[in-house]
Amino acid sequence: MPGIEALMHIGIKHYLFLSAILFSFGMLAVLLRRNVIVMLMGIELMLNAVNLSFIAFAKESGSLSGHIMVFFVMTIAAAEAGVGLALAVAIYKKFHELNIRFFEHLRG
Amino acid sequence: MLWEAIGFYSLAFFLIFFAYKTITAINPIHSALYLVLTMIGLAAVFYDLGAHFIAGVQLIVYAGAVMVLFVMVLMLFDLRAELRAFSRGLFSGMLKIISAGLLAGIFFAGSDSSIAILDTPAAAPSADVSRQLGILLYTKYLYAFEALGVLLLVVAVGVVAVSRIKGGTHARH
Amino acid sequence: MGADVFEITVNFVKMVAIFLLMVQIVPLLVWVERRGSAYIQNRFGPNRVGPLGLTQLLADAVKFLTKEDFVPGRGYPFIYYAAPIVAMIPAALALNAIPLSSPVHVEAFEMLGQTWGPYVFLAQGYEFGIGVVFVLGVSSLAAYALLLAGYGSNNKYSMYGALRASAQTISYELAMGLSIVGVILLFNTFNFTEMIAQQAGPLVFSLFGHKVEALSFLPNWGIFYQPLGAIILFAAMFAEANRLPFDLPEAEGELVAGYHTEYSGFKFNMFFIGEYGHMFVASLLMVIFYFGGYTLPGVNPETVGKWFADFSPTKASLLTALVLHGVLMAKVVFFLWIFIWVRWTLPRFRYDQLMDLGWRTMLPWALANTILTAIFILIARHPWGS
Repeated sequence: MPGIEALMHIGIKHYLFLSAILFSFGMLAVLLRRNVIVMLMGIELMLNAVNLSFIAFAKESGSLSGHIMVFFVMTIAAAEAGVGLALAVAIYKKFHELNIRFFEHLRG
Repeated sequence: MLWEAIGFYSLAFFLIFFAYKTITAINPIHSALYLVLTMIGLAAVFYDLGAHFIAGVQLIVYAGAVMVLFVMVLMLFDLRAELRAFSRGLFSGMLKIISAGLLAGIFFAGSDSSIAILDTPAAAPSADVSRQLGILLYTKYLYAFEALGVLLLVVAVGVVAVSRIKGGTHARH
Repeated sequence: MGADVFEITVNFVKMVAIFLLMVQIVPLLVWVERRGSAYIQNRFGPNRVGPLGLTQLLADAVKFLTKEDFVPGRGYPFIYYAAPIVAMIPAALALNAIPLSSPVHVEAFEMLGQTWGPYVFLAQGYEFGIGVVFVLGVSSLAAYALLLAGYGSNNKYSMYGALRASAQTISYELAMGLSIVGVILLFNTFNFTEMIAQQAGPLVFSLFGHKVEALSFLPNWGIFYQPLGAIILFAAMFAEANRLPFDLPEAEGELVAGYHTEYSGFKFNMFFIGEYGHMFVASLLMVIFYFGGYTLPGVNPETVGKWFADFSPTKASLLTALVLHGVLMAKVVFFLWIFIWVRWTLPRFRYDQLMDLGWRTMLPWALANTILTAIFILIARHPWGS
């Protein structure tokens, strides 16, 4: 069977597949869940999946620019999480609810 | 080679399992805790790929700071298992799952067919990756780095401004 | 892990031994804490069971093991059981990444009709190449134990304790990380062994291209370069380990016992092991960053190796490692005693004072320390004139 050899030889492709699966899981979390904070967590998961593919490409191409990108993505993700959580806290204070169906209409 | 494969597949299995539980756990705190485990597993994958410093930063920033914030905020709200955790509509739900699956399929097919274009590695990064990373960060990417600093300052001010909104325990009437 | 069965076995045994070292230091520290507090408060302390009350620990262990295994009714049993285990993991992982002595060289030898051979065993569980960053990353996971305990117990005191604890931990982590940045700039490495190697020898440094030897009667320790960083790091360590004067999470006067209100018996003991493990790691980091690690003036791996080279050439590195381990542990014990001393001397902070100290005092000072260290190193180490 030729498949076994390809399965056992771990290369960049395996990491990219893993990254794709994690990314689609993050996307599903944003699409399916209705809790604002869980949706934010889905975004974090997507960013992490992208980080994984950056690192895999960096290893494959032997350049460190991928690591730098991951560094930047992490900083942005931390900032984004801070803003998102502050907004979630503000929303919770106003509506006492985090389920997104309660504030799909833009009324104060 | 065999051990490498076993290591990768067990890590991948745990990562996918934790990511799946992140989506499906009804209690948001449980999903946050599963996401923490996913982050730690990703740090292990980064280490495996030779990005030692990035793996450490992943542990500190994601697992140690961002996710602690998430768990803390969720506990502050004292959320229990939710009644309407998922969006309504079986048909639209199926459509969403299928679209996510299609996206993953596009990634699969794209990476499978185009990976051969990549140049073979010119030279593997030498042992002292962290030092080279620092030098690169302060020379080639200096402006991006400074811009990130400004962005973080703006975000810090913005977060304080947003969280001082009226209502709750710290209201200013 | 290693190249062959022998090396893998030794490395595995080493990891288990270091974990057991952490676990075994707890009863001794509890004894020191109780006798020490009694001494400070002019009491006797436990002195009935065995000589100097030393077997009191065994009695305590039996008590811990035979207590009722209580689980709160409406909590989350899995999270409730996971929390004490999670409490022990960060300290154990961090301790395994820190070198406790100089490496041991083993010559090639014959065993079971095979030549095994030559090995170098580091006196630490594993070496990840990012030493300090790994220890920082792992110890930042300690907040989860408190959060899990508070959430799993389904008790408002536990929850308050957990929220306080995690807020405190992430606030003081900033000051801790920034003060460690100063150390990394100073030694120009992440590796603990290299840091210790740079601190061996007398205090000689180059300033504007000149060699300053006026202070060469002092050892070349980090404390002379980073006094402010040392103070900030030590203070932040108290907060990270949830010790008095920063023990708000378990403030018994206000919160019953904080996050471990619902824990009894051995599960409570595991939280205890985690806390003392944190203290142990904190003392080790202080010693390695600022007080020369396992070296003393005139005592470093080379000189001690020479003492034993004539005595027994084959076992020289093992004996050296033992002597240096003794030196390291003596320093660590001193810092552990300071932890206990402070606990029974200073009163507890109020919560707003705690946050104020963390964000408005320690963070700016740590930032200033980092920036000044960077500028000073850039200017002073620049080869002016030459």
